[in-house]
Amino acid sequence: MNLDYTPEQQSFRTEVREWMAAHVPRAPLETLEGRKGFDQHVAWERALASGNWGMVTWPEAYGGRGLDLIRWLIFEEEYWAAGAPGRANQNGIFLLGPTIMEYGSDEQKARFLTPMARGEVIWAQAWSEPDAGSDMAAIRSRAIRDGDDYVVNGQKTWSSRAAFADWCFGLFRTDPDSSRHHGLSFILLPLDTPGVTVRPIRQLHGETGFAEIFFDNVRVPVANRIAGEGEGWNVAMATAGFERGLMLRSPARFQATAKRLVELYRKHRDSASPAASAAVLQAWMDAEAYALNTYAVAAQVMAGGKIGAEASLNKIFWSEMDRAQHRAAMSLLGAAAELRTLPDGEPNAWLEGYIFSLSGPIYAGSNEIQRNIVAERLLGLPR
Amino acid sequence: MDFRLNPDQIELRDAVRDYLTAEHGPEVLRRLDAGNRRGPAVWDGLVAMGLTGILVPAEQGGLGLGLVEAVLVAIELGRANVSEPLADTALVAAPLLRATQQAEIAAGTLKVALAHPVNPWVADLNQAGLVIGGEMTSSPTALDSVDPLRLLFGPGECIATEGLLDRAALIGAAQLIGGGERMLGLATDYANQRSQFGQPIGKFQAIKHHLASVAVKIEFARPLVLRAAHALQQNHARAVLHVSHAKLAATDAAMLAAETAIQVHGAMGYTYEVDLHFWMKRAWALSGAWGDRAFHERRVAEAVLDDRFDIGPSTTFLAE
Repeated sequence: MNLDYTPEQQSFRTEVREWMAAHVPRAPLETLEGRKGFDQHVAWERALASGNWGMVTWPEAYGGRGLDLIRWLIFEEEYWAAGAPGRANQNGIFLLGPTIMEYGSDEQKARFLTPMARGEVIWAQAWSEPDAGSDMAAIRSRAIRDGDDYVVNGQKTWSSRAAFADWCFGLFRTDPDSSRHHGLSFILLPLDTPGVTVRPIRQLHGETGFAEIFFDNVRVPVANRIAGEGEGWNVAMATAGFERGLMLRSPARFQATAKRLVELYRKHRDSASPAASAAVLQAWMDAEAYALNTYAVAAQVMAGGKIGAEASLNKIFWSEMDRAQHRAAMSLLGAAAELRTLPDGEPNAWLEGYIFSLSGPIYAGSNEIQRNIVAERLLGLPR
Repeated sequence: MDFRLNPDQIELRDAVRDYLTAEHGPEVLRRLDAGNRRGPAVWDGLVAMGLTGILVPAEQGGLGLGLVEAVLVAIELGRANVSEPLADTALVAAPLLRATQQAEIAAGTLKVALAHPVNPWVADLNQAGLVIGGEMTSSPTALDSVDPLRLLFGPGECIATEGLLDRAALIGAAQLIGGGERMLGLATDYANQRSQFGQPIGKFQAIKHHLASVAVKIEFARPLVLRAAHALQQNHARAVLHVSHAKLAATDAAMLAAETAIQVHGAMGYTYEVDLHFWMKRAWALSGAWGDRAFHERRVAEAVLDDRFDIGPSTTFLAE
């Protein structure tokens, strides 16, 4: 065990810190869940890419820096410490990108990864269907082979930011006679293809980044399939592992939120209930615990280990922590918590964050599913 | 930066775990509980393993290891629910004493009891050759702990010894982690064996979810204990904060493990007939020892809420 950073790691930290200080937008961006805010966030993605910071762990050939996970953690720490905005690009860089690197052909890597890292193509995921949420093997949307194309019909739903994204990736049934997790393929398609209809769904906070996607005889080249026909389930499970695991929810984001929460506490110290101050402390402690755990997992992965069902522990922890952090803030704000704009004129980001945090224990596989995975695969309880 | 145990640390941990699994199973706890609560054979075995000398320099006959290794041993002591005064003597007291005393500790001939104003009860005073922070009295008053294997004495006059409380809280936290893991294991085994409604109760989602929640708590408490050991070893300015944080998280994990384990065991868990109760009661005892929740929360609050440190991202391993 060695918990000291090397001089190289420290100078990397300084490099990130200086770049962020010079480039992070001063004024907070509008919400990523609305059109205007989304466009602001995409502009930020392109600014990041101009400094080659779009996805630091990716190979240089695809617009990355080829950095290891410890440097990735350092990058994230400096990114969030600088108050940089949330990532509009996260579905691409954290989910689809690693999937293409593992399962894509050389041609697919060349075609998709660089525009993704540069923020030129923003991705949405098309997993869930109205009757297939947590039970993803129940999906019915079909992609039937016709020459060099698939013809896609069906419906996806609860697709984050599909209303604004350029492309989507998802699972489709390529064998019409198959059932459950057999006969599925992992297919990428542009959302402006004829026959695709995106219908925004208004979410709890009133914004419409979320959407349903309808496919009506949509033609997609077979070349847009990742891995073999019928192998989609395994590919999707790997993607879901990335989603639950290390990369999607970097600890620094929660540490930054915890710090802001402590600052909020200091402002409201006189009116804070003992329970609220205890919740603030717990929120800070949990963010620290999450960071340490991530460093520990990163070290295992760097030494050749794989993240399996352990990713579920992670997902349960961060999603419940996120909710608790924002609940603590709401309780500090007291009666003002219900206001969309706080009395000091600032948008009530805590309220928006609280509403968003409620989705964490549901998406990426509900926490009930995650607890089953932990119990069955890590603890050895019967299925 | 490499947050993994090194091969020597893994070897040490595995050796201690294997030894205790073989020599300190539940039958030993039952025998000690039925007898005088202490067993010279257990102590002699721990000495023979070299565990009393873990923190004693090689010149004094010890292994000359550090607090990270001490924590790894303490986790195993918690897993096996060892009650000999090994943790207090070898993992807390030894580095605070003189070379001659360290040599006696390594040799297994000196047992040390710990007193501190924060911790009103002194464990194992009756068999100690030395008490740190307090006076040896000729006829100490024995108190009955809920933990059947914990012999407590006091209260007497005591004075704070520099460094004692943080070391003891750290080692207590590590034992709570080991105990929590053991209780999770006991409850999981029971859920696999016990059938109701024609199937193992572990098939029920309600049981699975309880146990998964415990696994999450323990998983996220363990690295805190390791970081606290590292920080204390290196005298980091934040070591006190890290120790209190670790103690709180380990306590929460162990208490949840205990409450969940008894729930999963059902009425059997409410008896002396299953082994669970030994670990459950140790968890209760250690939770309040070496600074209770209020004490450690206050220390974290002083560090975090009052702007004493930069607390944002990028300070996780900061050593001022």
